[in-house]
Amino acid sequence: MIILIVSFCKFAFSDEQQIIDMGDIEYGEYLGAECASCHHQSGASEGIPSIHGMDAEVFVALMLAYRSKDMENPVMQMIAGRLNDEQIGSLALYFSGLETPN
Amino acid sequence: MSKISRRLFNTGLAAASVSTLAFPSISLGALPRVVVIGGGAGGATAARYIAKDSNGGVDVTLVEASKRYYTCFFSNIYLGGFRNYGSIGHNYYGLAVNRGVNMVHEWAVSVDSTARKVVLGSGEHLSYDKLVISPGIDLKYDTINGYSAEVQDHMPHAWKSGTQVQLLRNQVMNMKQGGTFVMVPPPNPYRCPPGPYERVSMIAHQFKQSNPSAKIVILDPKNKFSKQGLFEAGWQKHYPGMIEWISADTHGGLKNVNASSMEFETDLDTFKADAACVVPAQRAGAIAMAAGVNNGDWCPIVPASMQSQADENIYVLGDASIAKSMPKSGFSANSQAKVAANHIRGALTGSKVFDARYSNTCWSLIAPDDDVKVGASYTGGAEAIDVESKFISQADDSSETRAANYQESIDWYNGITADMFS
Repeated sequence: MIILIVSFCKFAFSDEQQIIDMGDIEYGEYLGAECASCHHQSGASEGIPSIHGMDAEVFVALMLAYRSKDMENPVMQMIAGRLNDEQIGSLALYFSGLETPN
Repeated sequence: MSKISRRLFNTGLAAASVSTLAFPSISLGALPRVVVIGGGAGGATAARYIAKDSNGGVDVTLVEASKRYYTCFFSNIYLGGFRNYGSIGHNYYGLAVNRGVNMVHEWAVSVDSTARKVVLGSGEHLSYDKLVISPGIDLKYDTINGYSAEVQDHMPHAWKSGTQVQLLRNQVMNMKQGGTFVMVPPPNPYRCPPGPYERVSMIAHQFKQSNPSAKIVILDPKNKFSKQGLFEAGWQKHYPGMIEWISADTHGGLKNVNASSMEFETDLDTFKADAACVVPAQRAGAIAMAAGVNNGDWCPIVPASMQSQADENIYVLGDASIAKSMPKSGFSANSQAKVAANHIRGALTGSKVFDARYSNTCWSLIAPDDDVKVGASYTGGAEAIDVESKFISQADDSSETRAANYQESIDWYNGITADMFS
């Protein structure tokens, strides 16, 4: 799924980048605290992946897919469903700037 | 004292006793001071976020009597035999060493909100600029005739984690073959709405293996409960004939509990138990009452900040607060703590304060790889914490979805405990 979205990104590059450009990293840090209740910094086994250090465009593409319910998971659909573009861009900026798990 | 040695000292790694030395707030001079009472999902998260995000700009002290904290969430998973007891225990070294939080392992006994001081069991005082009260629940034993703290080891409530939960596990394992287990859930509002029914599921799972002719009777003071359809379908599927849920209207009310004869007297019948779990009504932890931030059993808060409606310098988090539509859960407390931490830092250091946003998800394990979830997101409205959107597992979920829910819950546990303690 992620690979498909990454390749999709190449064609839709400007949309994701426009959303990232709307972001504010300090806002992303605040909003990102909600993600940290479930997404462990060190990455996870099978259930919940790490999002630390995730590429910003991939992050935006995934959140848009959850927001439009093209990707399944009721928790993520709920979380993404109430985020506007500025908030998604802020989160993408914040998480892409963190170290990836070892 | 150097920063490192003070941290080591406060973790208990150094030999000296806390009470013989000056309090950290004195040694740190002019930094704004936050005291947090209660080291659970609300308090530990608040202490961690204020310390972490202020980068040493706020002096944070966490008052928590226990040196080892056993989570209430996932204690049912332990009861079902899916985890060992040690795996739900956590210490505070990460908060002390990684975040510079000053740990004080004592009871807070009162609050002087005019002088802004917390009084500890030792008689020492801790001064604060902002106080966070996150004490969880106390049990109202006297709401059930015949039940009391004196008989709680005979009929564990196990609604505060730790030795009570171990005791309950032992009593489940040692119940006579073909015996009857009685579960008395609490009336609303209470900590962890689906908890009593997940607990029944986990005990049934254990009985299915070690005591297959056992019966479980639920004497509920309510006429409906959280995720009822999902639980009842799961019980029918995995434990047919084992579990009988009796609503308040059906049994007419629990009149008396006799801990020595193990009898539960109702209008409908007197039920004789071989083992039991009795969870009485609840209220905010005693320190909230001592601080005067309660209105009756619980504490009214400002939805946009989690500040007490009684005192703008005090924040009340988690089970003790009146968050209305937001359930009393570890997830809720963790979420509320982040809103409060952001607000407190803003007030003390001038950092940006963002709009309050809350969320909650409760996973419940019914049987191996059959896990259901319910959740919602919330905003801080003018009058109350308002639901923004919500979801619940569906009756026709695939078995893959239910199994994935269980994996998700395990990773959530790892995530939230890191978010509290690391």
